[in-house]
Amino acid sequence: MNAAEAIVRCLEEEGITKIFGIPGVAIAPFYEALYHSETIEQVLMRQEQNAGHAASGYARISRRPAVCVTSSGPGATNLITALATAYADSIPIIAITGQVESHLLGRDVFQEADMRGATESFVKYSYLVQNADDIPRIMKEAFYIASTGRKGPVLIDIPADVQRAQLKKPFTYPSEVSIRGYKPNTRGNGQQMAKVVEAINHSKKPLIVAGGGVILGNGEKLVTAFCEKNQIPLVTTMMGVGVAAKSNPLYFGMLGNNGKPYANRAVASSDLLIVVGARIADRAVPRPENLEKSVKVIHIDIDSAEIGKNLGPTLPLVGDVCEIFRELLTADVHIDTTAWLSSLEEMKHSTVDHRKFSELGVNPMLMVKTLTEKMEDDAIYVADVGQNQLWSADNYVMKQGRFLTTGGMGTMGYSIPAALGAKLCRPEAQVVAVCGDGSFQMSMNELATIAVNHVNVKVLVVKNRYLGLVREYQEKHYDSHYSGVRLHDYPKHEKIAEAYDMDYFECSDNESLPGVIDQFLASGRASLLVCNVDSANNTV
Amino acid sequence: MKGIFSVLVENKDGVLSQISGLFARRGFNIDSLAVGETDKHDVSSMTIVSTGDQRTIDQIEKHLNKKLDVIKVRRLDETKSITLEMMLIKVSCNLNNRAQLIELCSCMGAKMMHVSAKNMTIELHAAPDVIEEFIELVRSFGILELQRTGTIAMLKG
Ligand SMILES: Cc1ncc(C[n+]2csc(CCOP(=O)(O)OP(=O)(O)O)c2C)c(N)n1
Repeated sequence: MNAAEAIVRCLEEEGITKIFGIPGVAIAPFYEALYHSETIEQVLMRQEQNAGHAASGYARISRRPAVCVTSSGPGATNLITALATAYADSIPIIAITGQVESHLLGRDVFQEADMRGATESFVKYSYLVQNADDIPRIMKEAFYIASTGRKGPVLIDIPADVQRAQLKKPFTYPSEVSIRGYKPNTRGNGQQMAKVVEAINHSKKPLIVAGGGVILGNGEKLVTAFCEKNQIPLVTTMMGVGVAAKSNPLYFGMLGNNGKPYANRAVASSDLLIVVGARIADRAVPRPENLEKSVKVIHIDIDSAEIGKNLGPTLPLVGDVCEIFRELLTADVHIDTTAWLSSLEEMKHSTVDHRKFSELGVNPMLMVKTLTEKMEDDAIYVADVGQNQLWSADNYVMKQGRFLTTGGMGTMGYSIPAALGAKLCRPEAQVVAVCGDGSFQMSMNELATIAVNHVNVKVLVVKNRYLGLVREYQEKHYDSHYSGVRLHDYPKHEKIAEAYDMDYFECSDNESLPGVIDQFLASGRASLLVCNVDSANNTV
Repeated sequence: MKGIFSVLVENKDGVLSQISGLFARRGFNIDSLAVGETDKHDVSSMTIVSTGDQRTIDQIEKHLNKKLDVIKVRRLDETKSITLEMMLIKVSCNLNNRAQLIELCSCMGAKMMHVSAKNMTIELHAAPDVIEEFIELVRSFGILELQRTGTIAMLKG
């Protein structure tokens, strides 16, 4: 057995059935081994970055590491943006990159790129494989590292000659890993736990701020159960959208600049914020230092380095969200939040949303609301980046589905490949990608992958003929000096749909919106819906 | 404030660049860095000295701990540790002031390694603040070359 075959065996052992990538000479031995696998199907993408995003979409739905693969040099460097995106969003992906022959390493030969060096700050860990016999250990470790503690991408760079080299020892897939510098602690410290319970019991207006970490840790049910048991209200960050259903009376929306004004008011009036799996970045709370003075903050996170990074002194509790909330559910919490809840309820109904929307074209807020109300209960919604992302996150009607987006890196072009990955993971699920006309053009080449694989992904383009979010910024901060943001009326979307065998729909007014969305969702194959939106619409 | 970290790391390639990269990327200072193998050939020891506010020093410790190739991080309290550094320094001197320089050296426990007509090469191993002091004392002679190893440190007892 050679190393390439050993990698495939390891992937089979890990239960991998799909791999996203593009081959090249430096990864050819691996593709040869893959050719003979009975259980793993390779999905040929049209650009490596999208292979990474597709793996990300797949991993978020399977809640396990997913795999992408590229050749050396440009193939591998094309992947870097996707690795950085997965790293910022803590998504477990395994990236296998081909590398030039080992004896040529460091000589700047054709298609050599120092991937370990280049990705140092974008991966959780990386390997340069030098010995075929290390493969089983490295693969086992890579899956373990990617999927435990704070999750993230792991890179395995492997020279072509090492891929071809025979294993000297018989192949066995290890059942255990032992990395002396890596022992993620999952159980919350007992003393800290007691302090947390005490702080909750002393509070009158506790509020949970749930971030993407809750979803990554599979903690949605336990966190909402804790809220329900103790009648503690909840808001989320953008990455936390989906932790609670919209219909949950304890859920008060997404916070932040682009979130619900009443969610922000809730944060401002709370006396105890319980921040769970959120980094409290600049987008969510513009000036976190103002927060701490008036309220007490409990910060629960799997990554101790998050604690104290953006928020100042807090009551930290480091551990796995499920373990912590399982314990908190049995803790003796006895508070009466009736008054707090009714004041929030009152806030919710009295806060007026001052945002004005154009009379022309489709109202993007209404569009997201209508779409998500009509989507199946457990459907997957993938939001891209730009104004469309903010409208999506703010107006998404969460039922039992999933809301995927990239909040950490904000990489345009994420939605189409991620939706493809998500759909291949759960073929029975309804999957909709929503993007701007700018983001669409960053990954529309993957419509070919969608067509070839007969994947029924729905793509909705919020077409405002601009790089909308930047245009909005220029309007506010640069006196409407629009510079480099006009997209004009290209591409001709109906022709793109035709080129890729998609059903095409278009909508330009609110009245016909529900009907068009019905058709769009009902269509039996991949389909494209363009909603024409007035470029004058802003997010705040 | 000053942070002295004694860090045990895997002795493999790329680890030093991971650690220095971490400091560079997050804007943490490295005042000094000393690396060497321990008695176990697969483990290296690093002593890293940094300055920053309390939050920064805490963050450094956490981010070091987060690195998978870091086996152990210890923050050393300066008052409870032995800190040591070595320096080679070449100072210009001539017949007129050589005696004065020799006296300084013996006073400070520095060793004369080489003497020529125009200069003297001196070795000193001492606590970092003594090294600083010595540098100031000989500055007026004219420093021609200076090399320091960076601090190494160990907890007492
Ligand atoms: C890869 C990448 N390049 C540039 C940006 C900066 N950027 C953020 S939003 C945006 C405009 C997005 O335009 P579009 O996709 O049309 O969406 P809209 O804002 O109009 O909804 C740009 C260029 C980015 N986030 N990602």
